[in-house]
Amino acid sequence: MEYLKLAQRLIDRVADRDVEAEVIISRSRSTMIRVNAGEVLEMSAADAKGVGIRILRAGRMGYAYTTDFRPSSLELTVQEAVALANSADPDDFRALPQVKDRLAPEQDLELYDAQFPDLTTEDKVGFILGVERAALNHDPRVVATSQCSYHDSVSRLYLANSHGFSGCHEGTGVVAYLRAIAKDDDGQTAGLGLGCSVFFRDLDAEAIGREAGTKAVQLLGGAPVRTQAASVVLDPFAGVEFLTFVAQALTAESMQRGRSFLMGKLGEKIASQGVNLVDDGRLVRGLGSASFDGEGVPTSRTRLVVDGTLEHLLYDTYTARRDGTSSTGNAQRSSYRGLPYPAPTNLFLVPSSKPVEEVIAGVDKGLFVTNTMNTGGINPVNGDYSVGASGLWVQKGEIVGPVTGVTVAGNMADMLYGIRDVARDLRFIPIADSIGAPTFVVEGMTIGGR
Amino acid sequence: MDLDCWIDKDVASQVLTEALRYGGDLGEIYVEDRSVLTLGLEDSKVDEAVRGTDRGAGIRVFYGGLSAYAHTDDLTASNLRAVAKDAASAARGRSQAQVLDFTGGRTDLDFPVKRSFDDMSDEEKARLLHRVDREARGFDPRVTQVQAQYSEQRRRVWIWNSEGRAVQDERHLVQLRIMVMAKKEDLVQMGLGAVGGQMGLELLDRVDVLAEAREAAGSAVRMLDARPAPAGELPVVMNHGWGGVLFHEACGHALEADHVNQGVSVFGGRLGELVASPLITLVDDATLPERRGSFRFDDDGTASERTVLIEKGVLREYLWDLAQARRSERYSTGNGRRQSFRFLSLPRMTNTFIEAGDTDPEDIVRSVKRGLYVKMLGGGQADTARGDFVFSVSEGYLIEDGRLTAPVRGATLVGNGPEVLKEIAMVGHDLELDKGLGMCGKGQRVPVSVGQPTLLIPRITIGGTEEGR
Repeated sequence: MEYLKLAQRLIDRVADRDVEAEVIISRSRSTMIRVNAGEVLEMSAADAKGVGIRILRAGRMGYAYTTDFRPSSLELTVQEAVALANSADPDDFRALPQVKDRLAPEQDLELYDAQFPDLTTEDKVGFILGVERAALNHDPRVVATSQCSYHDSVSRLYLANSHGFSGCHEGTGVVAYLRAIAKDDDGQTAGLGLGCSVFFRDLDAEAIGREAGTKAVQLLGGAPVRTQAASVVLDPFAGVEFLTFVAQALTAESMQRGRSFLMGKLGEKIASQGVNLVDDGRLVRGLGSASFDGEGVPTSRTRLVVDGTLEHLLYDTYTARRDGTSSTGNAQRSSYRGLPYPAPTNLFLVPSSKPVEEVIAGVDKGLFVTNTMNTGGINPVNGDYSVGASGLWVQKGEIVGPVTGVTVAGNMADMLYGIRDVARDLRFIPIADSIGAPTFVVEGMTIGGR
Repeated sequence: MDLDCWIDKDVASQVLTEALRYGGDLGEIYVEDRSVLTLGLEDSKVDEAVRGTDRGAGIRVFYGGLSAYAHTDDLTASNLRAVAKDAASAARGRSQAQVLDFTGGRTDLDFPVKRSFDDMSDEEKARLLHRVDREARGFDPRVTQVQAQYSEQRRRVWIWNSEGRAVQDERHLVQLRIMVMAKKEDLVQMGLGAVGGQMGLELLDRVDVLAEAREAAGSAVRMLDARPAPAGELPVVMNHGWGGVLFHEACGHALEADHVNQGVSVFGGRLGELVASPLITLVDDATLPERRGSFRFDDDGTASERTVLIEKGVLREYLWDLAQARRSERYSTGNGRRQSFRFLSLPRMTNTFIEAGDTDPEDIVRSVKRGLYVKMLGGGQADTARGDFVFSVSEGYLIEDGRLTAPVRGATLVGNGPEVLKEIAMVGHDLELDKGLGMCGKGQRVPVSVGQPTLLIPRITIGGTEEGR
């Protein structure tokens, strides 16, 4: 643990009675492979490391980072963090956590694929070429793929602070995705396929390729419907996108700063009875799991929405002190470059036991959304929700044909109340955070078309 | 020739030799050093104060139109040689190029910084954020929150390749972003302002930061009285400046050579064809001083240039980086860009805009009986294969009998880029580039500018919540 010793040395350089200090060091090894038409277009391999130092002095916070680990550079970085703390404004709620809880042993969370070091470049190239082949073989109308790529990383994170916390987290992750392009006389469509896991062997090349192919082909011949009020069925991709913005509104930070459409609703009903939202930092094999968060606080399972009632928020140390509560272990850091902020670990809409077909069978009239466009139209501050969409039209419980080029609009506060039916096909999709959704129905949306 | 860099030409030459050890047509080293400062204010407090340095190198080997890449943050000669070996192995068995002497690269451009970032202390920069906060809050009692962020960045890059290219470039970026929230009963609206460019602190001597704060506050407050947008087809007048982002997304990306070469561009194979209204000339120009998308050399070491993409409606050229240009056996247009040394370069836009026409912008608004005036666009997305786009309007007004009337909210523009290009009916004489907020994402984020004059699009589908119009 030479990096933990280095972290401790840097802390000892500055920490005293008036100065709290925290050091994060991250190391990772990653691979990226992009293929097209059966050929490796690009391949990249890398080792990356960085160190970040956070200083708190009388409630003023400064942060500095570098990729240069030479002693002179580390010394400069420490000094920069101290100097920056002087330019910031004081805030009494700023403090580093005093962690007393014992951390859960990481091996119980299954976050590291021990097979990783044995994987060869050929294994990975073979895998991603298999993904592309599966899409192309799925249907003769799939004519090409785009962005077909494989990414993996092995990462280690070391964290220590001047209150005596010191910990190391080790994890692996692999993601493969592609867009299948389908063509017929009427035109061209695209469909996304994606797989992700902590473990390489859990990924299924055939399934990822087939998913992209299916989604592209089923949209061929699609056209806009006329503008109308209708239900929508969000597939796990569209559902995760929606939940990503709901999750932003559920952080204590957005509440405290007036940036949440759910502001002031803690303890109140915010969704229909069947809606349960959970954030679980200890989910076994979760891509967002770890035994401690970005400040060293043990992660936990938090029931945010219980049967439609907003019971809890996502807290880091600062926001928890401000609300007079304790951190839920949701301090997130994007890398050694950034300050911690509250964000989901593995957040999901709790599934039911119903198959997707049964959920669709219950829809009188609506759009089964399988592809969305423009998250810029989703606003967690005022709840505006308006995205471009394509998918399948549902009439009296039956899928009747493809729809493209429409918008789906509503307000997220109404949408949470409009959730009527939830399926069992929970799936985590790591767009930004690890967020999961099953297919679910939302009533009372406006579909904008012809 | 030598460059003022973390590694010298002898090391560069050795590393390139190592990179081509097993084969390959071209070897390249890309070294980057970037330092940034960010100061952020919210709740009237400066609580984000971050400074950092990222330094590293990437080594690329081209072989038969493909490329292998490895990158590292350890710039010692021995490590670079080891990393070169990583990149080299993919080209095993291919024909092998020689490493030529470094002869440099040519450009007449110079983008000097007139006022250094050190000319103001961090404390003074923090005080500037407080002034912005007070100005925005003072604008109207309905203002409830202000976020203001100052950021500066100095990025130096060095590129050597085995064909003798040896160039360096230095890029300074400065930006001030302002987000203002206003509230009336249950309705919350936001206004966004940003100023910035490729320059030093002279930005602050040139633009009125407080006026920008009032503008952002004004935008949020005006939208409090907005009514829900109509849904259906209407004529749209797009304000000059930032409105160009629609064409950046819906047309510009489809003109990038990687999309063309992979057969996922709606403009593929159509050079010389009429693809837009004859009123339209679309240009990408990385040589403009002070613009966010500018540079002297691109991230492949190619000198930057001005590229006319569409001339009076006729498709003339695509945007090329070195890798795509080598695949197609032609020259690069100097559009190879990367987010950092951790990424391979891709063909990207720089400063992309529609040239001025000759119509008075007021006449354009006057020509519309009933339509939508888009003052400010929000986020948007487009697909390159079909050119379909979806954009949200962050500040929009109804046009009734040739005059702007009520503000509308929640409007979404849905359409097809190439179709809109063909249909544009009027082009104003008021070309303007955006004030410096552009950041383009394509798996990697790079700073860009967009621009256009005031335009009339005769009909576009508006997705709103006001049904049945």
